[in-house]
Amino acid sequence: MGLSLNHFLVLGALLFCIGLYGAIAKHNAIAVLMGIEIMLNAVNITMVGFAFYNTVKPWSTFLTGQIFAIFIITVAAAEAAVALAMIISIYRKRNTVDVGEINLMKW
Amino acid sequence: MALYEYSWLILLSPIFAFAVILFGTRMWDLATRGRIAAKAAHETEAHVGHDGHGEPDGPDELIHEKGPRGEDVVFEDWEDPKVPQLTMGAKVSGYLSVIIMALACIYSWILLLNTAGLISVAPQLPTQGISLSQISYPWCQNIDATNNCFGLGSYVIAFHLDRLTIPMLVVVTSITLLVQFYSQGYMERSAGYARFFAYLSLFAFSMLTIVFAANFLVIFIGWELVGLSSYLLIGFWFNKKSKPAEDRLSPASASVEAFIVNRVGDVGFIIGIMILFVNTGTFNFSQLPAAVTHMDKTLLTVAMILVFCGAIGKSAQVPLHVWLPPAMEGPTPVSALIHAATMVAAGVYMVGRTWFIFAAADPLAFQVVAWIGGISAIFAAVIALVQTDFKRVLAFSTISQLGYMFVGMGIAAGTAYGPGLGLFHLFTHAFFKALLFLCAGSVLFALHHATHKETQDMRVMGGLGPLMPITAIAWLVGTLSIGGFPFFDSFFSKDNIIAEAYRTGNYGLWAVTLITAGLTSFYMFRAFILAFGGKGGRLGGMWGGTYRGKIYRIAGLEEGNQDKTYLVEMSPEEKEHIKVPHESPLVMTIPLIILMIPSIFAGDWFNFYPYIQAGAPALTVRDVLDDWLTWVGLAVSLIGFTWAFVLYARFEFASVHDYVENRAFLRTAHRILLHKFYVDDLYNWIIKYIVLGLSHIAQAFDTYVVDGIVNGVARLITVLGRDVRHVETGRVQTYMIGFFGGVAVLAILVFALVAFVK
Amino acid sequence: MDLATLLFWIIAIILVGSSLLVVGLRNIVHSALALVVVFAMAAGIYLLLNAELIAIVQILIYAGAVTILILFALMLTRISNVRTNSNPINKVWWIGVIISTLVGAGIIFAVTIGPHSTVSVQTAYGAGYGSTNSACPLPPNNVAYIGQLLYSPTCYSYVLPFEIASIVLLVAIIGAIVIGRED
Repeated sequence: MGLSLNHFLVLGALLFCIGLYGAIAKHNAIAVLMGIEIMLNAVNITMVGFAFYNTVKPWSTFLTGQIFAIFIITVAAAEAAVALAMIISIYRKRNTVDVGEINLMKW
Repeated sequence: MALYEYSWLILLSPIFAFAVILFGTRMWDLATRGRIAAKAAHETEAHVGHDGHGEPDGPDELIHEKGPRGEDVVFEDWEDPKVPQLTMGAKVSGYLSVIIMALACIYSWILLLNTAGLISVAPQLPTQGISLSQISYPWCQNIDATNNCFGLGSYVIAFHLDRLTIPMLVVVTSITLLVQFYSQGYMERSAGYARFFAYLSLFAFSMLTIVFAANFLVIFIGWELVGLSSYLLIGFWFNKKSKPAEDRLSPASASVEAFIVNRVGDVGFIIGIMILFVNTGTFNFSQLPAAVTHMDKTLLTVAMILVFCGAIGKSAQVPLHVWLPPAMEGPTPVSALIHAATMVAAGVYMVGRTWFIFAAADPLAFQVVAWIGGISAIFAAVIALVQTDFKRVLAFSTISQLGYMFVGMGIAAGTAYGPGLGLFHLFTHAFFKALLFLCAGSVLFALHHATHKETQDMRVMGGLGPLMPITAIAWLVGTLSIGGFPFFDSFFSKDNIIAEAYRTGNYGLWAVTLITAGLTSFYMFRAFILAFGGKGGRLGGMWGGTYRGKIYRIAGLEEGNQDKTYLVEMSPEEKEHIKVPHESPLVMTIPLIILMIPSIFAGDWFNFYPYIQAGAPALTVRDVLDDWLTWVGLAVSLIGFTWAFVLYARFEFASVHDYVENRAFLRTAHRILLHKFYVDDLYNWIIKYIVLGLSHIAQAFDTYVVDGIVNGVARLITVLGRDVRHVETGRVQTYMIGFFGGVAVLAILVFALVAFVK
Repeated sequence: MDLATLLFWIIAIILVGSSLLVVGLRNIVHSALALVVVFAMAAGIYLLLNAELIAIVQILIYAGAVTILILFALMLTRISNVRTNSNPINKVWWIGVIISTLVGAGIIFAVTIGPHSTVSVQTAYGAGYGSTNSACPLPPNNVAYIGQLLYSPTCYSYVLPFEIASIVLLVAIIGAIVIGRED
């Protein structure tokens, strides 16, 4: 059977779910970050899929999905840097990276 | 006509006296008490108890206290505080009320004599009476020509004067005057002297409001005011304690009981008035008899029976009679005025006023009136047979005689008499009952001075006739009047009611009233002999004899149970200390002498019936003597007198007592009657378990349900706050769960909508 | 089944499998390594979609820089027993399963079976790349294409977002340095 847009979209959805699970259900902050990275990658796959399977001219000549993916990668990298810096800073203060223990805003 | 138009002065003069006393002379009295007391305390210590004869007669021991304003108050007993000497303010209070009432009384007598045709200073009163417009006042602002207030009906304070009013005026003012005069002696040196006269004036005003009332509204105002005055006057000695051994309540409890039982009757009264108003649109007594003919007859009968409920409460008929015996806890002048002559007669007067409305209803209404009267008459009479408390005999006698008045009102249905039949007995009864009560007061006053404690039991009286001759003769006159002795009062008023019962076909009522007449004469004469006569006296034991108070005293009082008191002979030393009572001072005996005159001659107003109701037959001596019914009634009452004479004058009281105690049937009967058929106990039980039970349930409802809801809401908020705050864990992952959980819910929604909604 | 489809399936299965390993492994360093595989496989997917530049950039940035960042952070935040307890699972992990299942099902449903919009597309701003009489010829390869799209002053381009993204990167650098300072 030939590949269609649906394959890539479903793949993106699956990856998104798995990344979401990782973000919700892990204690280690870096593991949460890894889950977020997976989510972002899933979105990227979806975007690039849309860019490839779009045939309506002139929109298809603008490769919108791929540009979107570039920017997502950019921002994701920036965000990963900042997030890891924060995690390291918290580790220095509290000696833990468990997100369950970062609860100063508790009732 | 000016004579009649100014009769509102009679109404307003007592309230003027009340205001002046309460805000003027009593304040003067209270302000000067300290000074007078200090001056008089040391010089009267040896003469406390000084009576009209100038003999030092004080008790052996005095209690000295400081009054509320620092003045010296000398107590002969804790419960009736006396001051060493009355201040001028107090004395003036007394004089003021007596003078004002005297003026009102003279005015009333002029009105009576003029309308009866005996003197002629003014033209005759029109038959329907005149309206006293100077003191009438419409309550509402939007009153139109027909007195209709916003279309809701007519609410006017209106008074009027007619031939029904005038005999009542005479009764009320005369007896109030004599009672006030008498109280100057009875309430000597009482610390509440000024207050007493203020209350008596208030009562007179209230009663006159009822008498002058032209509509139900005003009569109800007066109704409640007399209830208030009765409460204030019964509870006059408010520090007095109850005496369960003599079956006596404290005056504070008795006054509350009187007021509340009256109130119970008033519930029916108000509902009846409301039914009449809603269906006819008027309260006015002269308009109602015509207006109610358009009403549904059953509804009218129900309304009138409810209106009669008010009279049952006010006039102490069965089943609301329970307040009258405890009301004897008030001072005896109060009992004479209120609970014998006037207030209790207000119920009868009201039925007389509304007689024509009763006549427009089903005959059942009148039958109810008559039968309740009849039942009360015989009920109270049998109870009075065994009472040993002097005033209590008179209280039950009052209930019984009021029953007669209602019988008179009820059986006159269909005859030409109108309300006059019952009202004649009211007119005569007021005089002789007041006389009897004032005599009782005189006896009690003398005994109190002799024994230094309050003695009301007839078992320790006896032989007082020669010692207190005026009082004794007055009592005898009263007894003969009430018993229907030929040509005294009741011979004309009461016996006519009994005869009329037969003539109108109410044979049951005839039998009841006839038996009651015999019982009445029996117990009244019994009281006379027990107090003033006894075995060994002159005239076969009617006059004089042994003064039992010098031999016996009542023991077993500490048990607190009436059944457990008994007579015990005193030791010689105790006998030494007992003084023999003597006649009361002149200020108390003059009213007795004055009252003897109407007690004998009031029944001789033969034109009373036509005076009240045009067209009614007048009494004539010839008709009375020709009628065989009269002789039957006479025979029964003479049997009563004779039997009392035989039993009490020929035998020693103790032997009669033993005879009853030794026979089981008589003993149980005696017990039941002594406990007044246990009606008081039944009511106490009802209140304690049913009324208070319901209120406990209501209180539980309030505490647990109502407060529970209120507190529950607060607790709910607290719980919500305390438990919901745990949602904020401070952890990001929790918030993410919430966030994406929402997304998931939306996803489900989308599923559902797309799949099932095309 | 042609080559593209076969490759797709292989890459997809490895991708999903290693992402499950990322969230499932106990040892966090092992998870980080599985994450590298995820990134690599994602690059493979891009290649299948004719997005060469994206694939290269993915490898460079993600599999290169971000992975190193993560590993450095792991090193600097040392856990006591790395082998067994470094990547524990939350107590309420089942809520995560439910939520992600529902979200995933929603997305998949919307994408495949759900009704699709039939709104017509409005006309473009000017003619697109590669049309016969436009001033923007079709670039020869994907890199040049993306370059044109990012920087072209004459044709349709995404210059402004590019500039903003560079500012974002600048801010991120400064921010990371400031936060990560040892004070």
